[in-house]
Amino acid sequence: MGLLDKLSTWLGKGRMEVTVLVLGLDNSGKSTMLNTLRPPEQRAQHLMPTVAQNHDSFQSGGVSFTAWDVSGAPRHRALWERHYRRAHAVIFVVDSADHLRLVVAREELELMLAHPDMCGRRIPLLVFANKCDAPHALAPMQIAAVLGLERITDKPWHVCASIALSGAGLADGVAWLARQIRDAHLPKS
Amino acid sequence: MTSMSRWLDVEVGTDDIDLNTLPSNLALVDLQNDKDYKLLVADFGKGEEGPKLKVFKGTMQTSDILLPELPLGIVGFYTSEAIPRSMPIIAVAFSSAVYLYRNMKFFYKYLLPSVDLSVHEMDVWKQLINSENQTPEMITILQENLKAIPPKILSLQSQNFLALTLDQQLEYLEQAAELPMWKPPEITCISTLKMNSIDQYSVSCLVVGTEDGYIIILDPQTFTTLSQAKLCPMKKTPYRMITTGLYNVDYRITVASREKSVCLLKRESTEGRILFNTEEHIISIEVITADESIIVICTDNTMSCYTKKGKKQWCVNLEHRPISMTLVPVLHLGVTLVGVALTSGHVHFYEGKARLDTLFVRDVASVMRFGRLGQEEHVLIVVTGSGNLMLKILKRTADFNSSAAGVEPAPSAAAGHKPWLIPKKSKLFLEQSARERENAVPMHEAFQLELNRLRLLATRTLLDAHAKSENFMGVGAMEPIGLTAEVEGLGPVFRVTLFVENKSKERAVAGLAVLFHAHTAHYRVTNPYIKVPLISPGGKLKFPTKIEEVFEENINPDVFFRPVTGQAGDRALVKVLLLKEDRKRPVLAATVQMPPTDPMMLPFEKIQSGYQNNAVDWEIERKN
Ligand SMILES: Nc1nc2c(ncn2[C@@H]2O[C@H](COP(=O)(O)OP(=O)(O)OP(=O)(O)O)[C@@H](O)[C@H]2O)c(=O)[nH]1
Ligand SMILES: [Mg+2]
Repeated sequence: MGLLDKLSTWLGKGRMEVTVLVLGLDNSGKSTMLNTLRPPEQRAQHLMPTVAQNHDSFQSGGVSFTAWDVSGAPRHRALWERHYRRAHAVIFVVDSADHLRLVVAREELELMLAHPDMCGRRIPLLVFANKCDAPHALAPMQIAAVLGLERITDKPWHVCASIALSGAGLADGVAWLARQIRDAHLPKS
Repeated sequence: MTSMSRWLDVEVGTDDIDLNTLPSNLALVDLQNDKDYKLLVADFGKGEEGPKLKVFKGTMQTSDILLPELPLGIVGFYTSEAIPRSMPIIAVAFSSAVYLYRNMKFFYKYLLPSVDLSVHEMDVWKQLINSENQTPEMITILQENLKAIPPKILSLQSQNFLALTLDQQLEYLEQAAELPMWKPPEITCISTLKMNSIDQYSVSCLVVGTEDGYIIILDPQTFTTLSQAKLCPMKKTPYRMITTGLYNVDYRITVASREKSVCLLKRESTEGRILFNTEEHIISIEVITADESIIVICTDNTMSCYTKKGKKQWCVNLEHRPISMTLVPVLHLGVTLVGVALTSGHVHFYEGKARLDTLFVRDVASVMRFGRLGQEEHVLIVVTGSGNLMLKILKRTADFNSSAAGVEPAPSAAAGHKPWLIPKKSKLFLEQSARERENAVPMHEAFQLELNRLRLLATRTLLDAHAKSENFMGVGAMEPIGLTAEVEGLGPVFRVTLFVENKSKERAVAGLAVLFHAHTAHYRVTNPYIKVPLISPGGKLKFPTKIEEVFEENINPDVFFRPVTGQAGDRALVKVLLLKEDRKRPVLAATVQMPPTDPMMLPFEKIQSGYQNNAVDWEIERKN
């Protein structure tokens, strides 16, 4: 049973369509993460840096995730905002071993949260402290502190350590995301 | 004020980093060929600790190796263009040798070629070692001869000898006196120069400046001398040098010397020349790549700019003494700033004379470098006087159009107005103008006569060509006509310039027309039919037209992400037909591949409306 099958059974029978925006600096592991989330037979062997953007969709049970993987290269970061309007959730991937660019990740996150298409919308924000297997990787709580997540008041957020290459931690994170979406949109019974 | 800053501060653990180094001892190198640039610092060490080469990955020191002596310069470069790419080589210069490291392992030591002694000095020594001359009287005389030689070119042996007392000198000569063989050469600075291509991974050769005022260029494979040149006819000691250009094409080495002058060495010259002198000692020098203008900061608290010919353009008085300088090229904004650190702890950024930004680093920035570190392209690296490392990253959204906090508006332009440059009236000019006044009428007549002759000749040739053109066209061979097109622009509006060339030597062509043929759903051509006037033999006419890429109302988002450098596919073909009057078929046809429109240039409203129309689809739906 694949990860998302499990997720969807857990979510219940209802069919849900969710658009997730996968953001983060270049080389943080966004495409790797989405590749690992695919069923094993559909995985790509070699990943190149994303040039502009790709989308991946997962159909499983009642849930369909459409994930937009946008390039994190500096030249393309200006294009992120074109996707904000349609996002129901954001996954922000951080390379927790790239200490130098944590401030850049924070800056880009702040720009995103302050954008008119994002500001005030209560959409869940999942932060993956990726590459936690790499030497000198920071712990998720340290990542949260450096990114200043505690200052976000208009969105539910969650930070979780992950290894996009092996898939460790991804299930937990995505489960949190699904729960958030379900809580927000299912009529309470 | 911090919110206005254009720079992001990177946290660096300050406790264990204690650097003691010079600006030339810093290098940014892709050490492991993984596009993760490392900071290399050749450190002097402090107290007990000896000199070391330290490697920083981002903010963290990852390794170090011991250095044999105090380093005075470090560079990283490539010696081969083979794929897979070989590791970059690190060269560390010491007083008389350059050590080369690959993979952080020492593999070669380059020694400077020895310098011949002056004949004069040799003569004196020949007499000195002769035991007949080893008497106090003779030695005093010979010693005077040695002293007459300028100490700068004197060998170390002679210098030591002169420092001895008479008794010691006698003793020395009796014991082990030999002819001095060579003078140990000293390196003062080191740099690299690309060989054939400006690509960042292309092969470079090492450039070494010596204490005796020579600039030596070394072969990247064998590390033997490729060329050697004297900096300047007078003795000047190079202190910092900037290389521009390519060794095999054309290059310039701009050198700041310790003797208050900047010298220039060009390709294929065995001796450089003084470009300009400064009033006070030069602290640092940079060359702006765009126009090769030279910026120097001096101990008289000035920053001045000179043209590449050595002419002073402007000079700015700094509030405090400058300590270090770095170029800050911001390519996506198309500006190159100059960062100058002052003793007050400020770093000012100038574009030309205008100060655009200021950083306060609290400590003296004794070493400063801007470049690529780790995965980040725009990092300002500062080593402070107290040995701390500071890293600052230029924000992606930073622009330098409006002045930031801490920068007062530039002084009004009126202050800098220069009078017109009118050359003085020379004697030649005065004589010529007198002649012109005296002989005005004959000159006018002669000119008119020649002009009419020229007109007659032109008309005859044209008539001739026109007469020939008709039967030429009748034959039907059209090879002498060339049709080429040039596409410019980022889109959606492109400028397409057609060149119609008549390659024939004596025949003109008439009655041509150009027709653009493109799918109207994809491209809109402003002027699809152009009548071509008569083209004289060898003539070339240019027809600029605008072609606009047309997008439907709801653009498929994938269109925005076509690779900008690639082709836009089959739909991007525009045919250009060259037609001739009275002919049914086109005489020439060409296809133009239109490049895809740059995603950043797309009409934004259409995308917005596109999303809005689709907005319903994006809403979360619960279908059951
Ligand atoms: N050690 C380690 N490496 C990882 C991990 N996740 C990704 N990587 C590596 O990081 C590199 C970049 O991964 P990508 O998925 O291409 O990064 P991206 O975020 O999509 O980058 P862009 O497309 O340029 O925005 C690849 O070489 C991956 O193998 C991880 O969890 N641990
Ligand atoms: Mg990617």
